[in-house]
Amino acid sequence: MRRRDLGGFWAGLLIVGLVLWSFVTTDVELSRLLSAGPRIADFLGRMFPPDPTVMEEIRKGTAETLRIATLGTLGAVILSIPLGILASETMVSPAVHRPVRIFLAFIRAIPLILVAMLMVGAVGLGPLPGIIAVAFHATGMLAKFYAEAVDGVSPAPVAALESAGAGPLLRLRHAIWPQIAPVVARDTIFRFELNLRESLILGIVGAGGIGFYIQTYVRSFQYDKAASVTIAVVVMVIAIEAINVLLRRRLA
Amino acid sequence: MGNAIDIDDLSFRHDAAAQNALEQVSLRVATGERIALLGPSGAGKTTLLTLLDARLRGWCGRVSVLGHAQEPERAPPLANRADTGFIFQEFALVERSTVMRNVLNGRLGRIPGWRALLGRATKRDADIATAALSNCGIADLADRRVDSLSGGQRQRVAIARCLAQEPRLILADEPVSNLDPARAADILSLLTAAAQARGATAVFSSHQPELARRFADRVIGMRNGRVVFDLPTGQLTETATAALYGDADQIPAAQLKVVN
Repeated sequence: MRRRDLGGFWAGLLIVGLVLWSFVTTDVELSRLLSAGPRIADFLGRMFPPDPTVMEEIRKGTAETLRIATLGTLGAVILSIPLGILASETMVSPAVHRPVRIFLAFIRAIPLILVAMLMVGAVGLGPLPGIIAVAFHATGMLAKFYAEAVDGVSPAPVAALESAGAGPLLRLRHAIWPQIAPVVARDTIFRFELNLRESLILGIVGAGGIGFYIQTYVRSFQYDKAASVTIAVVVMVIAIEAINVLLRRRLA
Repeated sequence: MGNAIDIDDLSFRHDAAAQNALEQVSLRVATGERIALLGPSGAGKTTLLTLLDARLRGWCGRVSVLGHAQEPERAPPLANRADTGFIFQEFALVERSTVMRNVLNGRLGRIPGWRALLGRATKRDADIATAALSNCGIADLADRRVDSLSGGQRQRVAIARCLAQEPRLILADEPVSNLDPARAADILSLLTAAAQARGATAVFSSHQPELARRFADRVIGMRNGRVVFDLPTGQLTETATAALYGDADQIPAAQLKVVN
């Protein structure tokens, strides 16, 4: 066997081993899966027809989720502008951008829901911990995107402004910013879309928004109401995506 | 009046390069002179011009530009930089900005802090930029975005930006190598005339001896980082230029430049 084939063999063995280990060590009773059929049908039956009397809760929850995503994105943008510059390979020395990049990777590695739980513990229930959590979590990605935008600029106009006697701040403003503006706008809108999607579930841990109603109705077995809220969430996600596609087309 | 450029024993090596890009270069340029730098690719023309524009560090020797001694490890004050204008081979314009904005960028070294940051041009700056545009024959393009322009138009914008800077020394790095012969002559004629009208000194590099003959008072030939001749234009002979570009071992380097 050639060396490359051997690599594929070991990778295959690893995957098979992982799957087998998961099956054997998890308490999977196939009988439970079989008997679940009628129960799932019953569950879905109780969701139908969706209860339309919760429109007021949907409106309130949607508005709060929108506020959390908007203010969370604003916070992320404010944090990402300085951090994005500090994470740039072309603007600052490796002694600065390397640790900043590691810090951003660290932030990205923490799931939003976990940050939200910690923030609920720190500042109490409501939309505020949600906003802080979204701002913190989104900065990990947004600052990295901003840094990549800065590093992607054509260096010639920047050199031209240096030659004309413009200092670093003026070069940033007049040679770098015009080049990165569309990229920054696109990245920010993309992150806003993600923030909206991700903040839909924040209510489950008490950090505000429409997720709170889903959790309340499911826990109190009001599946018809939960169904209405779920439909509202699906409609919202599709709408966000459609708007984003339109915006991106305009920025191209 | 003193010289615009005084260079003694200048040597420079790029990071990680095997040999010096400039080797013991000495030359003097009087105020108001028009100089053509000739030589094959890799001769050190761009390096010399970039160094005179104070964008290289770590050279040896003595360099004085417009009466200011340059320091090998330190950037000059921004105000001094504005006196030296640079025209780039690839234009170096901000593609997504308008022609006017690009020309006003040439004023940035002359405008005080916050005003420059906000991009608010005074009436005077706007007048200077407009005059530079008219001078270059592109007043009608002021509101167009640069990415909608042709190569010849872009080079005119780049020259207008340089003129708006009101430089006393104009350095041009192969300003016409991206243009067809007719446009090349137009652009060099514009550049040298504008320099003379201002009493500014002009140094441009080129691959074309006939352009050097037409638009320069003096021709400096460079090869392998050294000055190999320095002649009044009238004394530039075919043999001198042939010797400059002659050997076959320079051809691969010239082709590489094109690929880049």
